[in-house]
Amino acid sequence: MSNTTEFEIKKPKVDLNYASEKKPVASDPSPEAKPLPKVTIDGKTYEFKPGDTIMQVAERYKVHEEIPRYCYHPGMPIAGTCRMCTVEVEKAPKLMTSCSTPAADGMVVHTRSDKVLKSRTGVMEFLLTNHPLDCPVCDKAGECELQDYNYEYGPGTSNFKEEKRVFEEATTKKLSDQVTLNMNRCVHCERCVRFTDDVTKTNDLVMVNRGWHKELEATTEAGLTNDYQGCLTDFCPVGALTWNDFRFKKRSWFLSKKPSICDRCSKGCNIEVHSDAEVVYRYVPIHNEMVNGHWMCDSGRSSYNDLMNPMRVISPLMNHQNGLHSTTLQALLGELSIQLKNASSVQLVIGTDATREEAALLKDKFPSILGKNVSVSYFNGTAGVTSSADDKKMDNLLKMKDLTPNTKGVEEQGISPLSQGEVSSDIVIVFRNGRAGIPKMKAGQKVILWGVWNHDEIKTLSSQTVLGVIAGLATIEKEGSFKNTDGIVQKFHPAIVHKGGALSAHQVVNMWKSLN
Amino acid sequence: MMYNNEHFEPVITKFVNEPGCETIEFYISKENGYKALEKALKMKPAEVVEEVKKSNLRGRGGAGFPTGMKWSFMPANPVDANGNPKPKYLVCNADEGEPGTFKDRLIFTKTPHKMIEGMIIGGHAIGSNKGFIYIRGEWFKESRLMQKAIDDAYAKGFLGKNILGSGFDFDLVIYLGAGAYICGEETALLNSLEGKRGEPRLKPPFPAQVGAYGMPSCVNNVETFAAVPYILDKGWEKYAKMGTERSGGTRLIGVSGHVNKPAVYELPMNLSINEIIEIAGGVKGGKLKAVIPGGASAPMLTAAECDVKTDYDSLAKAGTMAGSGGLIVMNDSVNIVEATYTLLKFYEHESCGQCSQCREGSHWLARMFHRILNGGGTQEDLDYIAKICGNMAGQTICAFADAVTGPALSSIKKFRSEFEELVMKGGLKGIGREQSISHRVEGAHV
Repeated sequence: MSNTTEFEIKKPKVDLNYASEKKPVASDPSPEAKPLPKVTIDGKTYEFKPGDTIMQVAERYKVHEEIPRYCYHPGMPIAGTCRMCTVEVEKAPKLMTSCSTPAADGMVVHTRSDKVLKSRTGVMEFLLTNHPLDCPVCDKAGECELQDYNYEYGPGTSNFKEEKRVFEEATTKKLSDQVTLNMNRCVHCERCVRFTDDVTKTNDLVMVNRGWHKELEATTEAGLTNDYQGCLTDFCPVGALTWNDFRFKKRSWFLSKKPSICDRCSKGCNIEVHSDAEVVYRYVPIHNEMVNGHWMCDSGRSSYNDLMNPMRVISPLMNHQNGLHSTTLQALLGELSIQLKNASSVQLVIGTDATREEAALLKDKFPSILGKNVSVSYFNGTAGVTSSADDKKMDNLLKMKDLTPNTKGVEEQGISPLSQGEVSSDIVIVFRNGRAGIPKMKAGQKVILWGVWNHDEIKTLSSQTVLGVIAGLATIEKEGSFKNTDGIVQKFHPAIVHKGGALSAHQVVNMWKSLN
Repeated sequence: MMYNNEHFEPVITKFVNEPGCETIEFYISKENGYKALEKALKMKPAEVVEEVKKSNLRGRGGAGFPTGMKWSFMPANPVDANGNPKPKYLVCNADEGEPGTFKDRLIFTKTPHKMIEGMIIGGHAIGSNKGFIYIRGEWFKESRLMQKAIDDAYAKGFLGKNILGSGFDFDLVIYLGAGAYICGEETALLNSLEGKRGEPRLKPPFPAQVGAYGMPSCVNNVETFAAVPYILDKGWEKYAKMGTERSGGTRLIGVSGHVNKPAVYELPMNLSINEIIEIAGGVKGGKLKAVIPGGASAPMLTAAECDVKTDYDSLAKAGTMAGSGGLIVMNDSVNIVEATYTLLKFYEHESCGQCSQCREGSHWLARMFHRILNGGGTQEDLDYIAKICGNMAGQTICAFADAVTGPALSSIKKFRSEFEELVMKGGLKGIGREQSISHRVEGAHV
């Protein structure tokens, strides 16, 4: 991966977790280039790359927003079983599944002919026969593909007069501590089975029995064991698999959705922060083929809990009579300035979870504010990781060893790692955003904490003297960029507005400057 | 001759009534066994394929696809991504599960060497050195008999290395399925053979490109293989002449139901259904009411339609199919709704559950028929049956959904009055058939 790749994290243009986000094909302008094959979809002719399926061509050019699908997922092998994406291909005797049929030169496709719509209505009716129509109490309501497609294609009423299928033992079945299964809602798309077979390769899930009483079960008694269980609940088109952490916490239509980046490891998975009234309810991954594909790991997904932790310090704290007390930032900075000026030596340790901009600001501007020499170094703190050279893949998908997001970006500023992992100055300022570790400090060391801290972490510093805590913004609350383990620079904007008393590093530095 | 066809002679069943006919000694001494293999091994593979092509042999498993053409689809020298040669596999589909069909079992128990010889010839023709016989899970006895036959063939040098000094190697392995009807579908069979769930694969790629274990494979029915030695031995002309213009040879027809002599009959294809019923001893205990001509999936015919000929094309023209040759005869004591429900219950149980329409539709139809039989049916239900069937047929990966709609749709079309009677009189009870209803109510559904 080249070091120059730089892009901004934003919502995919197609507002779908399950779209391939294919871009239109650009023709090669050189005269000797072979003409690209063309396919006609709903009356318009489009160029495509050989090997594209009909669905991929339609996605490239946003024909009709999308072709409905249940079993198809761009990150998994094609199954072609839900039969929802069928389209009419001229000269073909039967309807073809657009997910699996390769486009051919001269092919004429109708994605919304009467025959197609009739078939889709049929599929919807069949899927709803055994589906409990209890959307008001279903956690998936509002983001359920069965609901969405039923509005668009469904028959509206059903003639199914028989008793519905009920899986009594699997109405709320824990597949693991994190995922709950309600088999009654399942539409048997088997995305989950293919995910554990082909993406995580853990073979956790399997369908047992045949036909209409086909049931999803874990292959072993341990249940789900992979580290990407949250993804199952993202792409489950219905409320069959739900994420316990989010289940029944919030109706999906109240959530405001903003793109950001996960800072749980050096991969930098693209995420969408789902919040209401600036309270985060969950992270879901955004598709980015260069970084995380369609997925994100469970520890990253749960990491919003650290941010919403009530123990997090969100206002400036100052040491007074051996206790930390809430104060104004002005008072705190004034006091700290005096202490720093009198100190024999000052050291600044930047955690590798600082953004590139923060690292540059602290390294270049901060010493001049104090008007004295400050030794600057960075500290990672992940066990076994000192610099980005120690980073390595922890599995076949996304997880990295380095649990901080920006080691490469901080190194890029010419800052070197903290020697021996220990501080040695009279006063040390530790700037970190909740992900980097806390460097080792001798008893009685005077320390200023800056960034995202919580009281539990501060308690571990009881043998040191904490002079003050400057509350900072967390990754999803601020603007900046990270350079991930592959050297890709990703810019991000605030996904939520911080409601406490924490300020960005820029604001703090400016205020400090104005005080002196 | 008795069947009004001067060219006819039994191809498969000539000696099946003689004691010891399943042994290799009998096959070699009385049936001129393994002589066709000797002949075929001296021919070039392409010549063997050509011979079979010209014989007009069509697949006996149900779809009736020309066998010679299927063999010619096999790639000559397949290579993998690195340019290494890939093996080709020959698979025998012995997952005879179609309700009403029991012809392959006859071959397994009475003349297994005919099929083995056919497979070795087939292996030579398509250039395969390994054959699998996929046997349905319930055939314990039959699989033992087949294993014995294979062992005997190895002992005599018809299987193994350098067969009859020709330099051609062929190994044969039997594999017992787990008892799913859908594994009779060739790609579901391949999945099951590989140890996966028996679910049909999405096509393309077809088995000739990506088959068993990802290698080019050819899947044929037991009866198809059993006909091959005759074609090679006596020549394609003789075989082709026995049949009609577009399908050569004889067919094994398993006649069951209300006939006096239910059995497997080897017959020419120019006979009508009525003639076959006559050969099977005539209708038992009443008048003919309906016939299912090709295994449970074939749409049923009324008594009035039974003068149709039983070759592939005539039956297709009559809106049904030759299928796997299971002829089910029903007399007028049968309630068609009840009979259809029995089949639908089978299909509901056997749908693999991949495709939405088939999984939910087969279940819905069975439940609806059950309700009608129990007196809960309405006129709208009767109209809705056709609509459900219309949403199922031709919409799924394999032909299972079409198979479900075969009996359901033909019964409501051809015997609507019986449905209406049940609706109006309150089910089977209302027409005095409580006897048959009682056992269906308890445990009717899994």
